[in-house]
Amino acid sequence: MASSSPSDLENPHATCSYAPLPGGTGDEPTVSRHPKKSAAIFLVCAFLSLAFVVALIGVDKAELNTNEAAVVLSRGRGVDKGVSEKSFRPLLGAENSYPWSSNMLDWQRTGFHFQPKNNWMNDPNGPVFYKGWYHLFYQYHPDAPVWGKIVWGHAVSKDLVNWRHLPIAMETDQWYDEQGVWTGSATILPDGQLVVLYTGSTNESVQVQNLAYPADPSDPLLINWVKYPGNPVLVPPPGIDEKDFRDPTTAWKTPEGKWRITIGSKVNKTGISLVYDTEDFKSFELLDQVLHAVPGTGMWECVDFYPISKQGENGLDTSIDGPGVKHVVKASMDDDRNDYYSIGTYDALKGKWTPDNPASDVGIGLRYDYGIYYASKTFYDQDKQRRVLWSWIKETDTEASDISKGWASLMGVPRTILLDKKTQTNIIQWPVEEINRLRTNATVFKNLVVEAGSLVPLELPAASQLDIVAEFELDEATVMRLNDVSDADVAYDCAKNGGAATRGALGPFGITVLAHEGLIEHTPVYFYVAKGVDGNLKTFFCADQSRSSSAMDVDKSIYGNVVPVMKGEKLSMRILVDHSIVESFAQGGRTCITSRVYPTKAIYNNAQVFLFNNATAATVTASLSIWQMKSAQI
Amino acid sequence: MKYSSPLTILTTLLLLHETLYSTMADQKFIENTCKGTPSPNLCLKILLANPKSQNSDLTDLALIGVAAVEDKGLETIRQIVALKRSRPKLKPTLNYCEKAYHAVVYADVPSSNEALRGGLAKFAEDGMADSAVESQACERSFREHGWVSPMTDSNKVMNDVANVVRAIIRMLL
Repeated sequence: MASSSPSDLENPHATCSYAPLPGGTGDEPTVSRHPKKSAAIFLVCAFLSLAFVVALIGVDKAELNTNEAAVVLSRGRGVDKGVSEKSFRPLLGAENSYPWSSNMLDWQRTGFHFQPKNNWMNDPNGPVFYKGWYHLFYQYHPDAPVWGKIVWGHAVSKDLVNWRHLPIAMETDQWYDEQGVWTGSATILPDGQLVVLYTGSTNESVQVQNLAYPADPSDPLLINWVKYPGNPVLVPPPGIDEKDFRDPTTAWKTPEGKWRITIGSKVNKTGISLVYDTEDFKSFELLDQVLHAVPGTGMWECVDFYPISKQGENGLDTSIDGPGVKHVVKASMDDDRNDYYSIGTYDALKGKWTPDNPASDVGIGLRYDYGIYYASKTFYDQDKQRRVLWSWIKETDTEASDISKGWASLMGVPRTILLDKKTQTNIIQWPVEEINRLRTNATVFKNLVVEAGSLVPLELPAASQLDIVAEFELDEATVMRLNDVSDADVAYDCAKNGGAATRGALGPFGITVLAHEGLIEHTPVYFYVAKGVDGNLKTFFCADQSRSSSAMDVDKSIYGNVVPVMKGEKLSMRILVDHSIVESFAQGGRTCITSRVYPTKAIYNNAQVFLFNNATAATVTASLSIWQMKSAQI
Repeated sequence: MKYSSPLTILTTLLLLHETLYSTMADQKFIENTCKGTPSPNLCLKILLANPKSQNSDLTDLALIGVAAVEDKGLETIRQIVALKRSRPKLKPTLNYCEKAYHAVVYADVPSSNEALRGGLAKFAEDGMADSAVESQACERSFREHGWVSPMTDSNKVMNDVANVVRAIIRMLL
């Protein structure tokens, strides 16, 4: 087979099936990749397509048919009729729907995201590193792919990526958790002992907190668990409804040497976090003051509280405090099903926390993720000195589909959390580095110049399991020159502005994944840059599911948010594509978006990736590395 | 006992007044609840059809609503089974609809009931949201295949009832 060097590629007879966009020809950009016999033919295709499609500097260009590209991205779009959370927008002119074939449903299962073999999962529980193993417990309904009477599922891993499923850790076998063994957290004591506090829904459906510990602490797999005979250790205090008392956190040390936990609740519509001190995890003292409260936010579920280092590049043990430390309060908002966090200062003596920026308080400010992401929980990994975040990712298809495929829900890829040293006002999240070990067979593109209104097919061996890292630069000249601006553009809203088909002068541009040739189905992940009247740029990062599938029974929302971009930074994104989940990260993890995607055609060998620039004015220069991701043991 | 004694009459009147008052209060509660839903009249019809609604708190009203979804779901499944015999050409789409309503009755409804009893209203909301979506998906699937739907009324009722119940559940959050 031909080697992969550019000079061999002279065959003008393209064997690729997509229609290239008209454009000038110039020098091919350099491409380097690991030579692979079976992939050489793809390389031929890639170069031919690039030669056709990429126009370079100042070359006499044929008139770019910008309308064609725009139309390709927007063909067949229906009118947006006010979307409520779970009403799906119909695709006018969509192909005939069909029942979901087992081929389509089978494809949806992921290659490297944690999921049990079947049925329903929700919140991650008690994540911990213990005696050489990472443990993940999770809310599990063993009987059906829908929420029900919940038990603690359990799995272990050496690397957070490959998992060994273990027997159910805790069942609903006591009166105090008869209606459900709900969410809880683990604490490792200084002597190495492990304790778990979890919420039980009693036989009378009262929410109580229970203590559990390993039956055999010397068993690194922690297979069997013992529930403290004196359970429950906590019942709803006066003034707190018996159904508003759940999800105890990992404990941290107080200045007095006691252990402290916090439990989310609400009083009317004010979300609050109750604080308890204990010496033995069996008897607790409720503090007069709550850790924090925010009016109007409703019930706080799955509260999390942890320190982050102001200067350091490591995570911190939950008990760490001091001048070099800020504290994060996070809560899952029952009302809107999103996880919010805020950075602030903890007063250990008072047991109170105050946000740095009250306008960005818990429940009203920043979210961990602007897509589907809920009930998340961190733990301190003392082995690698990092704080790791797990989250429940639900399905956004119909229950009927979940029943057909026999499962529902995933865990997001575990992420490390650090303070963003550059902005100081947000955290950054990044997939754990062990995920990189799944990377194989890289395809690299350097300095592709993508004119306004163009689409670049990226030939890849496969496109259902990918790790894409990309950098973009807008052409300065256009950005400076642009003076037909209004503040309307900076009021862009990913969810409401029509997705990747809505063109601005400086965006949208990015990568569309799980794309069928002809873009009948595709999922664009993109930047939209807006210039305000003050001349400043505002950058938005979005993931657009509106054309992700021909099926009309899946959610087609568009997610995203503004992303801070510091002076001199290129725009960068990382996208993990893993069948029916796409996780997108902008600017090193400043803004993250998790999407669930259920294509019917852009699956298996028909899934593709395109680079696109749907702006009306600016040219974008893109460099990308795309790895095939091996499947993990999940 | 002297039935006509003033004490007896007074007690009886007081009891009647109490019952009347509490019934009126419950009625007001039901009315106010229904005002917060997309279809207040449909809401009243569903809730008042069940005598238990008179002594219900919000969770109980939601449970009555879920029971109405279940009843409608079962009725619609029966309709689908009959349609498969009378309109065999529509079978592929009817099969899709049968799966949709099966999910409503055998997954969404039990899950919502369990969630309401346990105080995790959000899962009940999800169940009702899905029930509405299943009915919409069923209705659309006829159109997508170029058929006129024989089930428009049923699908609309399910959609409306599910959305009413969802609105009641949201009041519990």
